[in-house]
Amino acid sequence: MSSCQLKLILVFMLGGTSLAFAVPLDEPIKPVPLSLNQDPARAKIGRQLFSDVRLSSNNRMSCASCHDLGKGGVDGRAHSIGFNGKLTDVNAPTVLNAALNFKQFWNGRADSLEAQIDFVIQSPVEMGSKWADVVTKVAQDPKYQRDFAGAYQDGVTKATIQNAIATFERTLITPNSRFDKYLRGDPDAISSAEKVGYAKFKQYGCVACHQGVNVGGNMFQKFGVMDDYFAKRGHLTDADLGRYLVTKDENDKYVFKVPSLRNVALTAPYFHDSSAKTLENAVDIMFRYQLGRVGSKEDKEDIIKFLNTLTGAP
Amino acid sequence: MRKAIFIMPKRLLWLSMTALGVLLISALVFLYNKTRDYDPSNYFENVALLRQIKQLDARWELDAMKSKIGINKTYDPLVDPLVDLSKLQQQLDAVGASQKGDSARTLTNSIKAFEIALQKKANLIEHFKSHNAVLRNSLTFLPTAAEDIQNLLNKGKGQDQSVLKSVAAGVNKVLLASLEYDQAAADDKVVEIELELGHLAAQTKGLPSDIDDMVGIFVAHVRTVLREHNMVSGLLNSIATAPTVARLDDINNILNGEQRRTAEQAQKYRQYLLIFAAALIGLLLYAAARLIRSHAVINHVNMELKHANDHLEQRVKQRTQELKEVQAELITTARQAGMAEIATNVLHNVGNVLNSVNVSAGLVSSQVHASKALGLGKVVELMNEHAEDLGDFLTQDQKGKMLPGYLSKLAKVVATERQSIIEELAHLTKSVDHIKDIVAAQQTYAGASSVFERFQIDDLVEDAVRISAGALSRHQVTVLKEFDDVPALLLDKHRVLQILVNLISNAKHALNGVPGRERQITLRLHRAQGDAIQIQVADNGEGIAPENLTRIFTHGFTTHKDGHGFGLHSCVLAAHEMGGSLTAHSDGFGKGATFTLELPIKAKVKEGALS
Repeated sequence: MSSCQLKLILVFMLGGTSLAFAVPLDEPIKPVPLSLNQDPARAKIGRQLFSDVRLSSNNRMSCASCHDLGKGGVDGRAHSIGFNGKLTDVNAPTVLNAALNFKQFWNGRADSLEAQIDFVIQSPVEMGSKWADVVTKVAQDPKYQRDFAGAYQDGVTKATIQNAIATFERTLITPNSRFDKYLRGDPDAISSAEKVGYAKFKQYGCVACHQGVNVGGNMFQKFGVMDDYFAKRGHLTDADLGRYLVTKDENDKYVFKVPSLRNVALTAPYFHDSSAKTLENAVDIMFRYQLGRVGSKEDKEDIIKFLNTLTGAP
Repeated sequence: MRKAIFIMPKRLLWLSMTALGVLLISALVFLYNKTRDYDPSNYFENVALLRQIKQLDARWELDAMKSKIGINKTYDPLVDPLVDLSKLQQQLDAVGASQKGDSARTLTNSIKAFEIALQKKANLIEHFKSHNAVLRNSLTFLPTAAEDIQNLLNKGKGQDQSVLKSVAAGVNKVLLASLEYDQAAADDKVVEIELELGHLAAQTKGLPSDIDDMVGIFVAHVRTVLREHNMVSGLLNSIATAPTVARLDDINNILNGEQRRTAEQAQKYRQYLLIFAAALIGLLLYAAARLIRSHAVINHVNMELKHANDHLEQRVKQRTQELKEVQAELITTARQAGMAEIATNVLHNVGNVLNSVNVSAGLVSSQVHASKALGLGKVVELMNEHAEDLGDFLTQDQKGKMLPGYLSKLAKVVATERQSIIEELAHLTKSVDHIKDIVAAQQTYAGASSVFERFQIDDLVEDAVRISAGALSRHQVTVLKEFDDVPALLLDKHRVLQILVNLISNAKHALNGVPGRERQITLRLHRAQGDAIQIQVADNGEGIAPENLTRIFTHGFTTHKDGHGFGLHSCVLAAHEMGGSLTAHSDGFGKGATFTLELPIKAKVKEGALS
């Protein structure tokens, strides 16, 4: 049944009055789907694995160590601390709505959550593990053994561990932010000030990159389009090369995945280098280097108000 | 060795036949499998997959265009195909991996080429997204920026109004030119914009910093538009000319080619199968023809064999008949020979007897001639002369006185004579009877028919001896007889007689060659085992050499100068015919011989022989 027919039926059933609140808005930002329809048994295993320190080589780190689900899926640190105390090169992005990102990591080196897990597990800074050890450790746990046997034909393997965690992560979406409700057709879900903020968000051109279902996370962009951000910041690191590290394409230097702005209020500090400690800082930097425009303090505050409506619980 | 040579080709033939059978069956299975291997549905699935990828690819491109002109408000439509494409790409890889045959490598290479093209296109689209975002941002901002400048310029007091107006006009011009450029890019527009930007820069130098800054921002965005527009156009061109479709067409062509080749191959194998089937049918027909022909040959041979068999049977019958005839002839000859022997004996005996008849007759004749009865006549004459004085004469007369004495003497003599004559006549009669017997014996023997009669064998032996008596007495042969009491026999008497005569004759001959010894023939008669009797004719003559013991019974064997060699042979035959046997025994040359004739008490007569 096409959506057109569905609408017609709704019109007949509910009458014209309810039409206004039933029709989603056609906006550059799309609401988060209510569910990505994941296998609950696998997601359950993934939830356990997500907090399981045995994934790290010294049994001290779990995914949740850096992606605290109680703190918006991040650890709040500029650079996360790895299993042996080393700091990561870049700021940890939130795991919330990560499933909606078209690629993972700041430089988009992983095409899927499964691949992202692979990188983290084997990263000499983050988990420092070997898959053989991880599989052994997980397989030794009778509960895991039982759960895996129930959910996967192959039982405990590298692939099933990856899939379980990724499946769990695909349940970590936040479809119930106020802005999503607004987008789904509830005009009162956000305040008029927030609506103004959203209008300014679009008007200033933020929406040129931060669009789509994840308010970003679906494209790459050079950091410093209108001005040389890194020259101003100084202390160039390898991580600053961004996507270039993946493609070795000169055009990809300083290019990063446009991060999602969902739950942005929870995920300070901002940018790959954590250079912005607050949302205000971040918006300022964006105005200057990405938009190449001067915004009034009022406008920026309005925009931040709008950004706050993007916060939702998983 | 010969056997092995004979078997080897047979085993080889069998082996080769089995091998041929296995070969034919495997050829059939091979061809059948080859024709079954061809499954076009796989091909159609692959073509459908390619079409799906193509559609997705086209829609991707279209979405890029939509993003370029701002119909798409988000880049999600440019992201979503990536997921679907990567799934389809995996299916395509599976197609490449599952491909068989020569084109497999070409196909995998083509798929790889497509994937590289797709990856490049994805990169182009990523860059397009980035640059398009910047372009669109600057484009949307340009009018606002221009407006901001105008507002500032309007507020600009105490400045050279002409300069402000000129700046405002310049900004508007640049704005217009930039928007036009975005719609229809042309190099002269760039030159025009650059010219105006140069003017603007020159004019804003003396203006307050806020205006200068604002114009600076405006100029930066104009330049961004110029730069990014080129970028985006170039990227879109590259995206449009990305060889994904061509690569997909390559894959499609390979699949088509492979499909065509597979179909042709299947067709070819079908033809092979047809030819194979035809060949098989031909072979079967040939085999059937061979079978029919060999059947005909077998029939023919069978017929010939039957023919030959019939012929053979006929010939065997004929031969048997001939043999029978020869046998009969032989028997006849033997019988005739036997008859001749007996006849010789008979004649001999008759001669002998006739001799005694002659003698007897002579004796009677001479006795009658010299009979004293003549004296009786003289007496009668004397008596007649003295008829009147007979008494006186008898008493007175000298002569008369002697008469009674004479008469009594005469009577005595005549009586003696008579007695002698009577005896001689009896002898004569006996001799004549003897002759009659001999002739009768010969006559009965001469008859071909066997007559079974009950007789006493000892009488027959006596007969035989009597028949041979002449010869035996002539050769001074003593005949000893040791007869036991045996029952009467029911046999062809004359045959037995013939055998006995023959045996006695042989014994007599055997005795001839042994001088200086009393010639003796011993005839023994006693009961043998079972219902049989044994007659032995033993002589103490020259005997039989061991090498001849077995040969003496054969036809034509003889040791006599004028013998015909039928004797013993016919005897054996006769004995056998009566169900008896005839055997010879000799301790060697010069040690005599014993012939034993064993006869059943009752002849085993064949059915119908008596009737």
